[in-house]
Amino acid sequence: MGFALTMLVPLGLSWLWQDGATSAYDEAFWLSFGTGLGLWWAARHATTDLKVRDGFLMVVMVWTLLPVYASLPLMLQLDISFTDAYFEAVSGLTTTGATVLANLDTLPISINLWRGMLVWLGGMGLIVLAVAVLPLLGIGGRQMFKAETPGPMKDAQLTPRMTHTAKGLWAVYAAITCACALAFKWAGMDWFDATMHAFTTMGLGGFSSHDASFGFWDAPAIEAVAIFFMLLAGINFATHFLAVHGRSLKPYRHDPEVGWYLAVVIGSVFGIAIYLTVLDIYPDFGTALRFAAFNVVSIATTTGFANTDYNLWPAFAPLWMLFLSSFATSAGSTGGGIKMMRAIILFKQVYRELMRAMHPNAVWPVRVGGIPVERKILFAVLAFGFIYMVAVAALTLLMSLSGLDTITAFSAVIASINNTGPGLNQVGPATTFAILNDFQTWICTFAMLLGRLEIFTLLVVLTPAFWRK
Amino acid sequence: MHRFYPLLRVFGALLIGFSFCLAVPMALSWYVGDGAHSAFDEAFVATLACGLGLFVSLYRERREMKVRDGFLLVVLLWTVLPFFASLPLYLQLDMSFTDAYFEATSGLTATGSTVISGLDRLPLSINFWRTFMHWIGGMGVVVLAVAILPLLGIGGRQMFKAEVPGPMKESSLTPRIAETAKGLWGVYLILTIACAFSLWAFGMEPWDAVMHAFTTLGLGGFSSKDASLGYYASFEIEVTVMFFALLSGINYATHFLVLHGRSLAPYRRDPELPYFFGVLAISILALTFYLLALGTFDTFGTALRYVAFHSISLATSLGLATTDYGQWPFFAQIWMLFLGSFIACSGSTGGGVKMIRAMILYKQVYRELLRAMHPSAIWPVRIRGAVIPQNVLTGVMAFGFVYSVSMVTLTLLMVASGLDIVTAFSAVVATLNNTGPGLNLVGPAATFAVLNDFQTWVCTFAMLLGRLEIFTLLVVLTPAFWRK
Repeated sequence: MGFALTMLVPLGLSWLWQDGATSAYDEAFWLSFGTGLGLWWAARHATTDLKVRDGFLMVVMVWTLLPVYASLPLMLQLDISFTDAYFEAVSGLTTTGATVLANLDTLPISINLWRGMLVWLGGMGLIVLAVAVLPLLGIGGRQMFKAETPGPMKDAQLTPRMTHTAKGLWAVYAAITCACALAFKWAGMDWFDATMHAFTTMGLGGFSSHDASFGFWDAPAIEAVAIFFMLLAGINFATHFLAVHGRSLKPYRHDPEVGWYLAVVIGSVFGIAIYLTVLDIYPDFGTALRFAAFNVVSIATTTGFANTDYNLWPAFAPLWMLFLSSFATSAGSTGGGIKMMRAIILFKQVYRELMRAMHPNAVWPVRVGGIPVERKILFAVLAFGFIYMVAVAALTLLMSLSGLDTITAFSAVIASINNTGPGLNQVGPATTFAILNDFQTWICTFAMLLGRLEIFTLLVVLTPAFWRK
Repeated sequence: MHRFYPLLRVFGALLIGFSFCLAVPMALSWYVGDGAHSAFDEAFVATLACGLGLFVSLYRERREMKVRDGFLLVVLLWTVLPFFASLPLYLQLDMSFTDAYFEATSGLTATGSTVISGLDRLPLSINFWRTFMHWIGGMGVVVLAVAILPLLGIGGRQMFKAEVPGPMKESSLTPRIAETAKGLWGVYLILTIACAFSLWAFGMEPWDAVMHAFTTLGLGGFSSKDASLGYYASFEIEVTVMFFALLSGINYATHFLVLHGRSLAPYRRDPELPYFFGVLAISILALTFYLLALGTFDTFGTALRYVAFHSISLATSLGLATTDYGQWPFFAQIWMLFLGSFIACSGSTGGGVKMIRAMILYKQVYRELLRAMHPSAIWPVRIRGAVIPQNVLTGVMAFGFVYSVSMVTLTLLMVASGLDIVTAFSAVVATLNNTGPGLNLVGPAATFAVLNDFQTWVCTFAMLLGRLEIFTLLVVLTPAFWRK
């Protein structure tokens, strides 16, 4: 059953590994290229069509096995344990941005580039995952984006075949990345930093080549560029594609998520800025707005850059930012969390239940962008929202069972499952995840994968029923 | 306004009834001469006067109650009665209205969070009133859960309505609310008397036995001692309280059927019971080993005794304590609070989302997993063989979601007002689940008096939200409710 999909693995691998500059890269490259070639050779005659079940396994394998190979250069070059290297690689490929490495400024350039590239590649993978693959697998109501849905959603389907879709989306992604890199250079970064940060900005990852993250430059122009592109990357790339393709801004207006996304994020920016000014954290509103804008956008879009240690702010501000990260970004973006689309559906469903309590016999379809949402999708979205919260609660309990304080445990889980990056307290923006012990690191790794694969994809593969003939 | 007259008439009648509840501690105060009688006198007169005024002036306004009236009546009862119930506390003890209303809401929602310290020195009648509120609140909750919310269809409660085929049908008892209420209250009263006598037999003072029986059966948590049940340090008393707390965590409709039919079969058919006992038993054993391994207790026996008591007390949303479990490793505390959010059975006096909803949520998630693999297959969600209808499913899921959202939102509000995260979160969880004590600043060894007025009102709101199963309160707060 799995033969056909194993053929795809080397394809991905072999082109992933083209920057083998040092001996670490050489070894890693040959090892992964060798494994890939071997698998492909052994299975070259098995070209059956992929089934839904294969799709699940394929997606899970890509996101669990690729990090093994991706972690090789880190492990070989930087004297860190496999646990930490795998964590770092998963953090990159899931575009989380949580790191166990300190002294980033002194790392070899190629290692930092590799970390940035991991995020960027991860972003590429998950745009296609979100727009093309998960809808086919029907994860957590994603089938909504399938071609059957009438109306504006239909346009969002782009071309029916996955490879075509992928090419279109990747072109947009690459184009925006180039623009981002140029803008960073223009705003004052050097070429290397501009490229690396363009990678991590567009992937909404959050790795930086400096310990101080964006605090290194302390330049409002650079921050403004980052804010703009982070906001851009938090929007559905299918919408970007349609806008670019049709040379019109109309798709943004039709996208039911964009309005809410921008309103929630910008509203929070101003709210937090006022909150910080009132509590006298910053002397004037302008400074407060600058720091609030950068950090709120960064966390809400699940990027994870910081230009100051916001862990020192009153607890409400960082908590609110983490809360935003759990739902603000759009489906089909490189962001994490439950996605704005699901949040809208959940909210409307609750309102409908309130109405139905008053008028038990009335029929109230839940509509998004004017289209009634199918019952099946409603169930899937509700179940997704529920299991997301259960996952957060369960993993937090596990972390606190292993001896962490509640805030560190909770924020580490939230930051990992939303693929945001930095948490609070001991894993806050000024520190790293290196203080976690191995068990806790593995939990965070698991949480990142769980969040990135939208929980169900991973859980399905873990059920016994999946493996029965 | 005119359309609310018939409703207010009913409310007036209930207020008159409630004033007689106030007469009980008043009589007690006269009898023992504890100096609190003037406060009760005034409260009694004020309540009776308001009730009579409403009832008499609206006497001619009779009409059938509609669903919408039902919502408003329930919300009125749980928001206005605490106001009258708080009068004796406000008049007798030197406390603010905010605190007195909090205490009375905590009493009538059977929560058990308190802002009063120095309980041992309070007049007897005040302590009696505090626990009596739990008991009355428990009576209200049982009827609300078994008879009224199913009619209003809150969060999938319509499942218990008579239309559903199969085992659930028997649970709807007699169709009319009054009959149902009488049957349930009979059971409630019998259990309370049994509990009071057992506590007395194991060495409590008679009045304390009565008060702790009220607290235990209502799953409230007020005590007449600052040290709570730790004051007695008696193994027999702890076992008695555990036993009756467990009984009160079970659906009273099931108890009724058992007593009515003189057979234990209804317990076997109750779909919630195996999970209720199963989850509790596993948690108790696991936590015992955890605390032993970490060296919190020396012997297995001691660990088991304390863990069993506090797990049952917090999981059933009772909230009595025999030791300061705030000193235990953090995981144990959080886990016990977590249990409190779903363990109690529907139709019990406990709080949280209730076991039956937790089961449905779990099954629905599992169904979605299977459906991801086999998109075209049909997988009905079943409880004890009965298929759960679609609108019940969406109701339950929306309930689970809005419950979590309330928790997050209220916690954020508490944190924004300046509390630390653990105190804020645990205070919200403890009040939303109607458990009682939280952690850290509002832990078992402290009181809710540390909160400022704003935070106290947030907790008061959370208690009402939890007790009225969220939707009941939210519906009344929507503009659509008030439109013609």
